[in-house]
Amino acid sequence: MSELHTPQAGDDAAPDNDVVSLLMRQHGDIRNLFDEVEASTGEARQEAFHRLVRLLAVHETAEEEVVHPFVRRSVAGGDEVVEARLAEERAAKETLSDLDDMDTGDPKFMPRLLALRTAVQEHARAEERYEFVHIRRSADAAALASLAKGVKAAEAMAPTRPHPGVESATANVALGPVAALMDRTRDAVRTAMGRD
Amino acid sequence: MTFNPLEQRGIPLDRQLRNWRELNVTPIDPDHCDPYTRCRIITMNGIEVEAIMFSHQLARNTVDPEVKRQLARTRYIEAQQQKVVNWLLPGVSSVLETTIAYEQVAVDLTAWVARMEPDPYLKQAYQFGVLEDFDHLYRYANLYEMIEHRKAESIVEGLTEVMPGRPTKFHHRHPTDNVRDPYVKDETNPLSKLHALTIMSAEQQTMNFYMNTGPTYMEPIARQLYQEIGLIEEEHVTHYESLVDPGETWWEQLVNHEYNECYLYYSFMEQESDPKVKAIWELHLNQELEHLHIACDLMRRHDGRDPESVLAPQLPDVLTFEPNKAYLRELLDTQIDLTTLGAGYVREAHERFEKMQEQIHGGEAPPSERVMTQHDEMFGREYRVETEGEHPDPALREK
Repeated sequence: MSELHTPQAGDDAAPDNDVVSLLMRQHGDIRNLFDEVEASTGEARQEAFHRLVRLLAVHETAEEEVVHPFVRRSVAGGDEVVEARLAEERAAKETLSDLDDMDTGDPKFMPRLLALRTAVQEHARAEERYEFVHIRRSADAAALASLAKGVKAAEAMAPTRPHPGVESATANVALGPVAALMDRTRDAVRTAMGRD
Repeated sequence: MTFNPLEQRGIPLDRQLRNWRELNVTPIDPDHCDPYTRCRIITMNGIEVEAIMFSHQLARNTVDPEVKRQLARTRYIEAQQQKVVNWLLPGVSSVLETTIAYEQVAVDLTAWVARMEPDPYLKQAYQFGVLEDFDHLYRYANLYEMIEHRKAESIVEGLTEVMPGRPTKFHHRHPTDNVRDPYVKDETNPLSKLHALTIMSAEQQTMNFYMNTGPTYMEPIARQLYQEIGLIEEEHVTHYESLVDPGETWWEQLVNHEYNECYLYYSFMEQESDPKVKAIWELHLNQELEHLHIACDLMRRHDGRDPESVLAPQLPDVLTFEPNKAYLRELLDTQIDLTTLGAGYVREAHERFEKMQEQIHGGEAPPSERVMTQHDEMFGREYRVETEGEHPDPALREK
């Protein structure tokens, strides 16, 4: 395997002034984390899984707060597009909170992780093909940038790769449960978008 | 090997039609499949697309309505085969992800064929071409990390290295210099005919794929890179199709097509790691055996010749997807600065080449160079997978 590490969205030097590009890179980040969880064992797997859960939580919250409202407002038939995506997200979130309580060494963990991975990947491509295309078509550069700002605010809430020497379990405890993280992400997005 | 397709009978044609349930195959899992399973799928799709289009061209040049009906019957089954094979690719893959797999096919299929090709002139044609596909893989891999934050490594999985080949900007040659000399049909090794048909079909499918999917991208650099590499695929199809002897009759060509399909389905059946996909290769082989018999009958009837006179007495060794890293490194070390002049190869940039370069680049860096600049701006480095050490050409090592 190559030693190269792809930084998470926000940590590369992309201008991040286009919400669609930003979210597509985040979809890749999520997929990378699934790879990392599958490839690791023991504590490393537990740690990678915690980062995955939190990135998923933050990403989905950002989409709910930033992307879906825009599509509802600005796209003809947007309500139907969003409803279909929300149904997928609800299903993924249920699996996510079940998994979050589970020991990654549990024999039931991997099959459920793989099921979640499939659901998340299908959801991500559906967003890219049926939702993001509408955003790019109906949003001007200023709107794309403003939406990106909201997503960036959410992203700041997600833990990135741990630095060597930092005790990751402690960091994860400090982040608290997924639901609380989603609440904090929601607040951060609303503040950034001037909607609080 | 003792498998002789001419002596085997397959499934009768009137029992080959599949219903919707049978056509509705389960796609491979892009995150857990054997990369070479995906390569075999992409290859066979290219082969089936060529089978369909060749049969259409033949039908358009056929006067006898009874023969037209016979061609239509076989072609409908080939169209079903293409649907089954290409529908093994998953909907969750992006176009760019599939593109990287197409380039992995181009690299490892062409390299293997170059290694096995007995004719030195044909071998040179494959060696020349593979260094260009190799560079395309590297450019698309950098685009992939920019757009999707994914590494090409997650697709090629260490089987194929990702690093510069002959730089893409130098692939734009005057069209005249893309035409090779053909093999001589009655003198060449039958294996050479199969190789030429296989690589031509694979490159043609790559050309079709890029020309149709390139504009689905919104990112300017992606649109432009597909345009640039799409035009090189046009050169590659010209390069490889000109290797085939145009003196072969339509019926002889039909027989060669069907025989090649038998050869490839047999080869892939022998090495397939995914049991569901293996079952498809086996079924399709059994269908192709019958298509071959029908083609042989047509050749006997219309050419008054025996197909055995143009075919190998038995199947050659199986065509294999496997890593070709050492071979490619040797070519990178020795053939990177080649270009073509007429039907041959030279090391110096000649006048016609330079004129073409000047005109197409218009004094600017082409998309294949700009993608690297933009990638560097985003990540402060390039994307490469060098599993066997640094690049053999010191000039192409990462700075």
